Amino acid sequence: MRITRIPRERVGALIGPDGKTRKYIEKRSGVGLSIDSESGEVIIVDEKADPLMGLKVDNVVRAIGRGFSPERAFKLFNDDYYFIIFDINDYVSGKKDHVRRVKARIIGSEGKTRTIIEQMTGATLCIYGHTVCVIVDLNAMEVTKTAIDMLLSGSEHATVYKFLERKQMELKMARYGF
Amino acid sequence: MGKWGIAHIFASYNDIIITITDLTGAETIAKCSGGMVVKACREEGSPYAAMQAATRAAGAALEKGFEGVHIKVRAPGGKNDQKPGPGAQAAIRMIARAGLKIGRIEEVTPIPHDGCKAKGGRRGRRV
Repeated sequence: MRITRIPRERVGALIGPDGKTRKYIEKRSGVGLSIDSESGEVIIVDEKADPLMGLKVDNVVRAIGRGFSPERAFKLFNDDYYFIIFDINDYVSGKKDHVRRVKARIIGSEGKTRTIIEQMTGATLCIYGHTVCVIVDLNAMEVTKTAIDMLLSGSEHATVYKFLERKQMELKMARYGF
Repeated sequence: MGKWGIAHIFASYNDIIITITDLTGAETIAKCSGGMVVKACREEGSPYAAMQAATRAAGAALEKGFEGVHIKVRAPGGKNDQKPGPGAQAAIRMIARAGLKIGRIEEVTPIPHDGCKAKGGRRGRRV
């Protein structure tokens, strides 16, 4: 049994219209979900399921709680995908203006920066509240992490784009395995 | 009718250490780490290293007549990462595939009851 907590406004997304999302998770993984919509507490009952499933469902629930749409979060049922959370409060002092500014840096005007990172690494980004969350496969994990870290700690956008450009060849090599 | 043991899996982003002990946890049966199976330092924490290490450790345990293991998985914990690294899942899967039965899985990451201050200065933590 595992307990996680998600923000209250994301409980609706986890349950889905007529409980569809929740039922899908339970059916696909074989675990039971018990959701407290008052506090946002989610209890994952994984005693009867495949032992690894508990960990995966935990990640899926947290991804949905951190702002991913369920369809994107379901990628995490796949073995090759990993879930990373960056807390913006680790990088700037907790002031609202600062958090907003850093979030804007990662998204870019009209989502330009985010799209570039997503296209170059094959990752899926979600910027929500005070966190930046990434679903990414293992090959591109290091590069994605470094790129986002550079943006969070104040590098210029051009530097980050150049960095991503430089790593393209490496990523291709890792993807096709030679 | 075999013996049961405990597989302690420590998975960080930089390394993985697997120690299989008996049920008391005092007697080590087999152990293996990321550095023992790969050459490059940066691959020590990868799922590939975890698979190799898990297969080796599980093989040694099977040879000594073990039937299954309970699993205790941990991340560095404390003021560092709270979530196990990418190798943890791969290691558990390979232990199962090597022929050991999997009992209970427990997470034993040390959680501070407000201990040390996290790393980082005035400008925050730059990872």
